This record gives sequence, structure tokens and C-alpha cells, in this order.
Amino acid sequence: MIKFISHNNFIRLLAQLNKDYRVYVPVKREDKRFYGRFENTPTEDIVIGEVRAFEPLKAFFFKGREKVADGFKADMPSSGDKPFAIVGVKACDLKGFKVQDYVFSAKSGTTPDGTNNDDTDPFYLQMRDKNLIISSDCTCVIDTCFCLALGVKPYPQDDFDINLSQINGGFIVESSSEKGEKVIQQNLSLMEESTKGKLSERDKQRDKVVKQIEKNIQENDIPSQKVFEGIIEKNYDSGIWEEEAKTCVECGACNTICPTCHCFLLYDQKDAKKMARFRIWDSCMVKDFARVAGGANPRHKLWMRLRNRFEKKFDFFPKVANLYACTGCGRCISACPAKIDIRKVLKKLVDNKK
Amino acid sequence: MKNPYRPIKAEVLDVIEETPTISTVRFKPEESITFATGQFVEITIPGVGEAPFTPSSKPSEKKVMEVTVMKVGKVTKKIHELKKGDVIGVRGPFGKGYPVDDFRDKEILVVGGGCGFAPLRSLMYELFHRSGQFKKLFFRGGCKTSKELVFKSEIDTWAERKDLDLKLTVDVGDSQWKGNTGVVTTILENIDMDCASGIAIICGPPIMMKFATKKALEMGFKEENIYLSMEKNMSCGIGKCGHCRLGTYYACKDGPVFTYDKIKNFSNIWD
Ligand code: SF4
Ligand code: SF4
Ligand code: FES
Repeated sequence: MIKFISHNNFIRLLAQLNKDYRVYVPVKREDKRFYGRFENTPTEDIVIGEVRAFEPLKAFFFKGREKVADGFKADMPSSGDKPFAIVGVKACDLKGFKVQDYVFSAKSGTTPDGTNNDDTDPFYLQMRDKNLIISSDCTCVIDTCFCLALGVKPYPQDDFDINLSQINGGFIVESSSEKGEKVIQQNLSLMEESTKGKLSERDKQRDKVVKQIEKNIQENDIPSQKVFEGIIEKNYDSGIWEEEAKTCVECGACNTICPTCHCFLLYDQKDAKKMARFRIWDSCMVKDFARVAGGANPRHKLWMRLRNRFEKKFDFFPKVANLYACTGCGRCISACPAKIDIRKVLKKLVDNKK
Repeated sequence: MKNPYRPIKAEVLDVIEETPTISTVRFKPEESITFATGQFVEITIPGVGEAPFTPSSKPSEKKVMEVTVMKVGKVTKKIHELKKGDVIGVRGPFGKGYPVDDFRDKEILVVGGGCGFAPLRSLMYELFHRSGQFKKLFFRGGCKTSKELVFKSEIDTWAERKDLDLKLTVDVGDSQWKGNTGVVTTILENIDMDCASGIAIICGPPIMMKFATKKALEMGFKEENIYLSMEKNMSCGIGKCGHCRLGTYYACKDGPVFTYDKIKNFSNIWD
């Protein structure tokens, strides 16, 4: 279903949603956007369009630290809070869902040689099921954006409940799930028909942003995923890894900020009287990540761990799930204190003839 | 929905000291857990953490389970301090064990080294339990010194069995040791079996697995008949946490037992 909503009515819609959900909207602080709780009054700093938020969307579904067992009790620990409605999610983060969904659902139980198991992470799946995603088109780009190189368009095409395209006077509202459809139905009085003229305004706006990203990609000389096949295998023993890892300080920021990184650690509270287990984000860049109890460490050198990070994204995921586990969001580029730039690494990997 | 991270409460029934650094813990989970030999479980020490172990007990024994643990880290140290009546947690079983059904009418060679004895004891119980189903059974085991040999008295009874051809070796001999000295590959010579159609099962420290696999290939075992139990840093057990990746597999769900042909092309499998 496709409708149009004016700016004023959009704020009313958010207030309406706030009854059933905890509504989060992107809020601008200096030159960055962060998800903030919508408190029923419109503020100047709410930015629905523009570009992705600073923090990855995964943080709502797969929290940095979450209690997953409470004593030996059979029932799952739950907060009982209202679900989230997250507004202004961008297309790159929706691609992140493709990876996270694959990992935490039973999909990852099927391996290339046909073996099967159906284990799921019920905490993640429950969040995915309950929460509402209201995505939006990007209306500008920042210099680290390279989504198109990973096949992601700067406007959502699937994996949302409702999408918003900002045009003059308001937004085009489009649903892509039953849940989203229902929200529109329940708030029809706030909506208007979307006319042909409005839709072509949206398309023009989309084209404009696509061109800006194409320019970004060209200026920074970023290779496209069309030439990624085999880049890890071909460069497995190359010197690129050691060279790139030279300045890395093993902080793990590249992992925690990444919308596709899913690795975690099960951590037990240090209190013998009360068993409590937390699922905490982990980082494959950290030395002990793969170390076994006996002491052997398959990736004892930092460059091996850097290589592993790329191997996971550009070799493992395409092989098991038929997708590159990078969205082109550029977060790891800005987060890295060592200025290791994934775009440049990819370029080197593609160019190395060996 | 089932919570895969919740441990089941279990009561410690006994702690048996095998060697100064290796103990076997016998425990009874509140809900019964059935496992196939070669699968692993995660053991929780409340307030300390969790670690993966392959049970060393009989898969056919449904109510009670045993793990044999070497003191190497935080969790294993606490396991050694356990006493009868203590409460622990257990999750699992996880992954794929040995496909014993597929071994029917075959000749089987089991090669164990050091820490590999624990999971292999469970396998041997299962093979003995179904002994008539196999053509021949061989066990070749090695460890550093005779002091480090676990399940000594039990292995003595294995030596008496008519359905098993058993040989042991230690890397470094001493006055008490009457058997072979040398690494385990030295007792893989002259085994009277048809390797081309036989099954080789190898479990032990990485370096031993590497050389035993090389030897098994030389002996003529087919790659798809060489079963390896791969030790990785398992945590979640269900292919989600990312810790145990081995090429395109996760050892926790696709292993820990793999045939050599499945993993031989991955880089650095023995590291
Ligand atoms: S690897 Fe970097 S650019 Fe790619 S999705 Fe992760 S944070 Fe974004
Ligand atoms: S963010 Fe940069 S410095 Fe930190 S671990 Fe990642 S690559 Fe290394
Ligand atoms: S133990 Fe978590 S993925 Fe294997």
C-alpha cells in the first residue's frame, strides 16, 4: 500500500505509535545521527532522511549485553517492556538484517553439504517478530558511503514494515509487510493518496542520491562486489594483511560498529550464589577469540585476525549464504583509530594479480 | 521457544582423580540428556563460566554422564575442586558424533593421544556394546609418559578382550613402563587390516592428529574414512557465536567429528 503523509500528520502518527511501541527516531548531534526516544513532541533535530545513524541497527535486536539465562529457570528472562518501533532505518542497515537473520534463525543450520539442524536464537527472533521497522530513503550521502558497491541501493526495497520517502511537504508511505499494512490501515485518517507527481518526485530524489554515491565510489576508486569472487583465496598468503594490520590496536571497534558482525561470548556473572548468563558482543580481532583451553591459538598474529575478519565477510558468507557480509555503510572506516580503510583493503585485494 | 543458552541443573555424584592433572566428574542432570558418542556438552560452574567437553561415559547410560577433564584453565580448575553433592549446569549435546551405524561390517582402527582418550573411552564403550557388528577392532594409544595414561585399570581390561587388538606407547619411557616407547605413529606399523576399506578414528592433540592423519593416508585409508575430532573454542554450541569456525563450517554444529575429505582444503586446520 502506498500513501502520502504530511509532516504534521507524521508527528501524529509517531505519537499514535508511541502507545504500543517505544518509538525511536534519528536525532542529529553535530554531524552525526543517533537513535533517540521520541517523546511525543516534534523537535528540530529529528532527521528522518539524510543518512544512516551512527550506531548499527543490530543494537536493538542483538544487544551489546543481554541476559540470556537466569539461574537454571526454564523460562526465558524478559524485560516485559513494549516493543520498539525504529524509525528512519536506512537500506544499508536493512541488509545487515539479511546477515543477522541468517545467523540467528534456523537458516544457518543448513550447510553447503546438506547437513541440517534447526537451532535458533530465540531472543533475537522474538525481537525481530515484535518490533516495527519504519525505514526511510537516504536523502544525502557522507563520504564513507559505498553501499552501491555492495549492491545496496540507498533506498529500502525489502525487509521493512513501512518505508518513508521524504518529498516536499511530507513523506510517501509504503508498506511491505502485514504488520506495516495494518499500521497504515489503522491511521488512514492521517494519510492522503500519493499522486503520480509525488511518486516521480520520489524517483528523482532517489536518482539524485544514487548519482552522489556513484561519484563517491568513483572518486575513492572502490571496487564493486562483481569482482570480489575469490579475492580472499587468491590473497590468502599475500603480504597485504600484515601491511594493513601494522597500525591496528586490536580495539575491536570495527566489529562492534558493524551491522553484520554477529559474534558473541556467553559470559557468566561472577557470583556463585546466583547463576546468570549474558550474551555479549565479541570481537574476532581480539587475541583470545579462537584460542582453545589447551592454549593453541589458530590466529595468534594480529594480521591473521584481520585476514579472518575479511575472510568471514567476503569468503565465508558468500559461500554459505550467498551474500557478502558488508553493507557498504562505512562505519568501520570512521570508527578505526588506526585508519584502516575497508575500501582501500578491498581495492588492494582486487588489484593484486599475484 | 526453547532457550539454548540455559544450562540444566546437575548434581555431582563423584569426582575421580585419574592423574594429578586429570579428573573424571560423574554427574546426574535433572532432565535426562542422551548423547551420541563424539557429541559434546557445555558444563557450567555456577559463578565461574562454561567450557566444552566430550563425555567420556557410555552413551547407553541415560541418567548419568561423565566428563574427563584436564586442568588447563579457569573452569577446568574449578571442576577439579568439585565435590559430591555440588551443583553444576550442563547444556547440549551439540554437534555430530561418530556415525557408528556406518561402521557396520567394517574394520576399525582407533588412534588416541593424550587428551583424546576421554572422548574415545565413550566411543570404545559404544563399539564394545555393539561389538558383533564390526569385523575387527584395533586401538592404538599414546601419551607423553606412563604417568599421564588415564583409565589405566580400565584399559588393562580392554587388553584382555578377544574382540580388540590393543597397543599402547609412551613418548618417553621409564622404569615402570614395559611397553613400546615412541610417538603413536610408531605403533601404526604392521596392523593386520584392510586399510582401503577400513575406518580410522583419530583423536588427540593437534600435532598428533596431524601426523596420525598423514600416516593413515600412507597406510591407504580413504580420506572419507578418516574421522577427526576437531578441537575449537566452542561457546554457544549452535552455530551462532562464531567462535569455532573451521572454513565454511562451525565445529560445534557441523562437527566436532569431521571426515578428512571435508576439511582438508581449509587452511591451517591443525593450528
Ligand atoms: S564491514 Fe564496515 S562498511 Fe561493511 S558493513 Fe561492516 S561496518 Fe559497514
Ligand atoms: S577498529 Fe581498527 S584498530 Fe580497532 S580492531 Fe578494528 S582494525 Fe584494529
Ligand atoms: S560454538 Fe558458537 S558458533 Fe560454534
